[in-house]
Amino acid sequence: MRVFNKVLIAAAMLAAIVSTQTTVSQAAEYTGPPSLLDEEMAGKMPGVSERLPKNPRVVNLKAMGRKPGKHGGTMRMLIGKIKDIKLIPIYGYARLVGYNEKFELKPDILEKVDVKEGRIFTFYLRKGHKWSDGHPFTSEDFRYAWNDMLTDKKLGRSGLRPNLQVDGKGPVFEVIDETTVRYTWHAPNPQFLPALAAPIPIYLAMPAHYLKQFHKTYQTKEKLAKLLVKNRVKKWYKLHKRMAREKKASNPDLPTLSPWVNTTPLPADLFVFERNAYFHRVDENGNQLPYFDRITMSVGTGSLIPAKVGAGDADLQARNLNFVDYTHLKSSEKRSKYKVLLWKSGKGSAVTLLPNLNVKDPLWRKTLRDVRFRRALSMGIDRHEINQIMFYGLARESGDSMLPQSPLYKEKYQKAWAEHDTKQANLFLDEMGLIKRDEDGYRLFPNGNRVEIIVETAGESTLQSDILELIQDQWHAIGVKLIIRGSQRDVMRRRAISGLAVMTIWNGLDNAVASPQMSPSELVPSSQSDLQWPQWGMYVSSKGEKGEKPDLAPVVEMLKSAKRWSKAATTQEKTKAWQEILEIYSDNVFSIGIVNGALQPVVVKNNIVNVPKEAIYAYSPTAYFGVYMPDTFWQSKPLTK
Amino acid sequence: MFAYIIRRILIMIPTLVMISVLIFTIMEWPPGNYFDTYIAELEAQGEAADLQEIEELRKEHGFDKPPIGRYFHWAFGLLQGDMGYSFEYELPVNEVVGSRMWLTLLVSFVSIFFTWIFAFPIGIYSATHQYSWGDYGLTFVGLLGLATPNFLLALIFMYFANIWFGVSIGGLMDPEFKNQAMSWAKFVSILEHLWIPVIIIGTAGTAGMIRRLRANLLDELQKQYVTTAKAKGLHPFKALTKYPLRMSLNFFISDIGSLLPAMISGAEVTAIVLSLETTGPLLIRALKAQDMYLAGSFLMVLASFTVLGVLISDIALALLDPRIRLQGGSTK
Repeated sequence: MRVFNKVLIAAAMLAAIVSTQTTVSQAAEYTGPPSLLDEEMAGKMPGVSERLPKNPRVVNLKAMGRKPGKHGGTMRMLIGKIKDIKLIPIYGYARLVGYNEKFELKPDILEKVDVKEGRIFTFYLRKGHKWSDGHPFTSEDFRYAWNDMLTDKKLGRSGLRPNLQVDGKGPVFEVIDETTVRYTWHAPNPQFLPALAAPIPIYLAMPAHYLKQFHKTYQTKEKLAKLLVKNRVKKWYKLHKRMAREKKASNPDLPTLSPWVNTTPLPADLFVFERNAYFHRVDENGNQLPYFDRITMSVGTGSLIPAKVGAGDADLQARNLNFVDYTHLKSSEKRSKYKVLLWKSGKGSAVTLLPNLNVKDPLWRKTLRDVRFRRALSMGIDRHEINQIMFYGLARESGDSMLPQSPLYKEKYQKAWAEHDTKQANLFLDEMGLIKRDEDGYRLFPNGNRVEIIVETAGESTLQSDILELIQDQWHAIGVKLIIRGSQRDVMRRRAISGLAVMTIWNGLDNAVASPQMSPSELVPSSQSDLQWPQWGMYVSSKGEKGEKPDLAPVVEMLKSAKRWSKAATTQEKTKAWQEILEIYSDNVFSIGIVNGALQPVVVKNNIVNVPKEAIYAYSPTAYFGVYMPDTFWQSKPLTK
Repeated sequence: MFAYIIRRILIMIPTLVMISVLIFTIMEWPPGNYFDTYIAELEAQGEAADLQEIEELRKEHGFDKPPIGRYFHWAFGLLQGDMGYSFEYELPVNEVVGSRMWLTLLVSFVSIFFTWIFAFPIGIYSATHQYSWGDYGLTFVGLLGLATPNFLLALIFMYFANIWFGVSIGGLMDPEFKNQAMSWAKFVSILEHLWIPVIIIGTAGTAGMIRRLRANLLDELQKQYVTTAKAKGLHPFKALTKYPLRMSLNFFISDIGSLLPAMISGAEVTAIVLSLETTGPLLIRALKAQDMYLAGSFLMVLASFTVLGVLISDIALALLDPRIRLQGGSTK
C-alpha cells in the first residue's frame, strides 16, 4: 500500500513538472501585462498563452520604424459629449480586415481572407481566438450575426446595407467549419472588404453567447419578459439592439474584440476602458498588446478641451483640437510636458463652399446650376492669401479633390478652376448676363435683385467665419456680395435639405487619400447630408422613394461611373471609374475647395512612445488614430506632475 | 390667511397648465425634431440611417400624430412623475437629471451662501457710511462683478487657478475622482474646484443685493424714529438692527421666489464654460439637440419651482411683515 502511495506521489510530481515545463515554455513565448498577474495567480484568468489565439497577429514594430515597448499605464483623453465614447472602437480599430499605414487592406482579426473572382469571400478565423470575456470566438458568432441579426425579420427589418448588396441581392452565407465561413455573391462586390475596414464597420460577427439571452429565438418568453421590464423596453428587438451596440461602446457587458473594453455604464462623466485580456495582437517580442492598461475619457464642454489639454489634462488628444489652437498648445508645451505634433488632415479641403444645387428659389437654382457661375466663384477666391493668413502658408492651395498621398491624385484636379483670376471670373459672370451693377459695384440679376449669396455656417468654427470674411472682400472684385449667416449645425443641415440655404460652408471630402478599392460614393449624390445636392442624395439613398431625381447631365454621368465602379472586379476598372468621377467633379466645381493638407494638432505627452510624427488625421480611411494602432503606443516612464 | 393660501394654490393650477402649453409650443416651433437631427448625425458619421427604425421610434413617441396628442401624453406623464424619455441619452429623463442633481444643489447653496455673507455686511456698511470712500470702493467692486460677463470671469479665473494653484481646468473635481464614491480626498478636490464657480456666480448676485439693501436701509435710516432713537441715546448698533434693518429686509424674502429655480438650474452659462457636472449644460445641450422631453420637463420643473417660490415668499412676507395686507383696498 505504501509503495503504491509512493508511486502515486511520484507520478503526480512528474505530471506537475511536465505541466510547469509546458507553461514555462509557453510563457517564454508570450508575455502578458503585469497588471493581470494577480488575477492569473488567483486562478481567475487563464495564462496569457491560453488567452491568445494559437496564431496571434504579430505586429513587427521595428519593421514599422517603431520601438517595441512594455505594458502599463493609463492614457487619458477628453471628449465633449458622452456619445463620443464611440471613438474607442474606432481608435482600437480591430477589424476583420483593416487598412495598414499605407492604406492596403490586410487581415487583422481574421487569419486569412480568400477572394475568388471578386465575389467569393472565404474567411479563416484564428484558432483559439476569444472574446473579451474569454468565450471562444468561432463561426457560430458569424452565423448568429448573419441569420439572427442581419437577416432576422425584426432586427434586420430595414434590409441589408447597400455594401452587402449587388444589384439588390445579398450574398449566400455558409459555415464551412468552426473557423471558416464564406460569403458568395453572384457578381463581384468591391464594396465588401472596404466596408469591413471602415471606421464604423459592418459587424459580421457578434458575441452569440451573450446576445442569445436577448433574442426571441433562444430565450424563453418568461425570462425575456423579465428582461424587458428590467430595462424598461417594450419590444425584445429593441432590447437586443440596445445591448448589441458594438459601435457605440455603450454596453459594458457586451463582449468585444477591441483592444479596450468599456467598464462604465451610461450616463457618467468619466469613462474607463480596461484592456481586453484576450486581444489577438502581440509585438515581435511576444508581449500581448495593447501596451496601455486602460484609457479614460473624461466628458466636459467641448470648447474647453484645448484649454484643458494645454493644462496637461490629456495624454493623447486630437479630438476637439483645431489648428487655431496651435499657438496656445505650443506655448504650454514645456509646462505641461507634451509635444504638439502636426498631422495632415485627410480632407479634400479644410473648408469648402457648397452651392446648394437643390435650392428652392428658382432664380438661384438656375444660377447655381450654371457651371460658369460656380467656376467664377472659385476663381474669385485668392487661395494664396487665405493660406498665408489663416495657415501661415503651411497648407496647399487646392480645389476640393484628392491629396498627393492618394494613388488617384492628379495635379489637374487640384488646379481645376482654382487659380485666382478675377478677370476670367468677371468674364464668366458677364457672359451669364449679370452685367448691371449697383452703386456699390455689386452685380444685379435681370430682375434687379443684387447677386447676394448668404453662406450659412454651422457656427462651430472661427476658422470658417474668418475665411468667409476674407472671401467677402475677394468676391467684391467680381461683384458678388457674400453675407455670412452664423447658425447651428442641425439647423444649417435642415435648411440645406429643405432647399432654403443657398450656400453652406463645411469640410471638404472626408476621404481625400482614397485608393481605387474605396468607394467613390462621397463624390456623387449618396445621402441627404450631401450639402451641395441633398435632394439628389436622398433620392439615391432611398432608391427613388424620396427626394428629387438628379437631372444635371454631369451628375448623371458621375452616377453612371459610380455604378460601373460598384460592378468592377479589377483594380484597373475601378481606377478608371474613379478618374472619370474626379475629372467631372473638379471640372464642374461642385464644391469650392480652398486649401487642403491643413494641419491637425495632435498633443502627445512626452513619455508616450510610438505615436508617428507625421501622419494623416482623418475619419476615413485612417479611423483617426486607428490605422496607426494606438495599442502599440506605450508609456516609457510616469511623468511627475 | 388660510383662504388666501388656498386661493393662491388653486391659481397655481391654471398657471402651470398655461406654462406647460407655452413650453411645449416653443419646443415644437423649430422645424424638424430630434429624429431629423439623429439622421443627420448618423449620416455625418457615414452610417446608413435605419429609416425604418427611426420611423418606428417616431411612432412610439407619437411624432406621427398631431402635436396635441404628444402634449397630453407628456403632460399626463408629468402628473405621474414621469418626465419622459431622453432620446439623446436613451434613458428616462428622471435618471439623466437625477445623476446631476446633487452637485447642482451643492454649487447653488454655496454660492447663495457666499452672496449673503458678502452682500449683507457690505450693504449695511455702505448704508451707514453713505458716500464714504468705503462705500464707493465696495460698491465699485460689487458693480464690477455685476458688469463683467460671467463667462469672461470664468475663463480668467480658470486660467489663473490652473497656472498659480495647479487646479485642473473645468469640472467640479479632478478627473480621477469622477466615478468614485465620496471620500476625504474627493471632498478636498471638490472644495478646490468649487470656489471658482461660487465666486463667479456669487459676485453677480452680490452687487444687486448690496444696492438693494443699501437703498432700503437708507430710506429707513432717514426716518424720524431712527433720529429719535439715536437722540434718546440708544446704542447705535441696536438703533440699526432693532427696526431699520428688519424693515429693509422685505426684498430679501421676496427673493426666495427666484432663488428656488436658480438652485436647480445651476447657472447655465457659467456651468458650460466651467464644464461643471451640473444640470445647466444638460439643459442647453437638450435644447440644441431638440431632445424635447428632457428640455421640456426640465423647464417645467424650473417653472413649477418659480411658481412655488413666489407663493412661499408671498406667504412669508405676509407672516413676517404686519404692514402687508392680504386683501386689496386701503384704510385710512
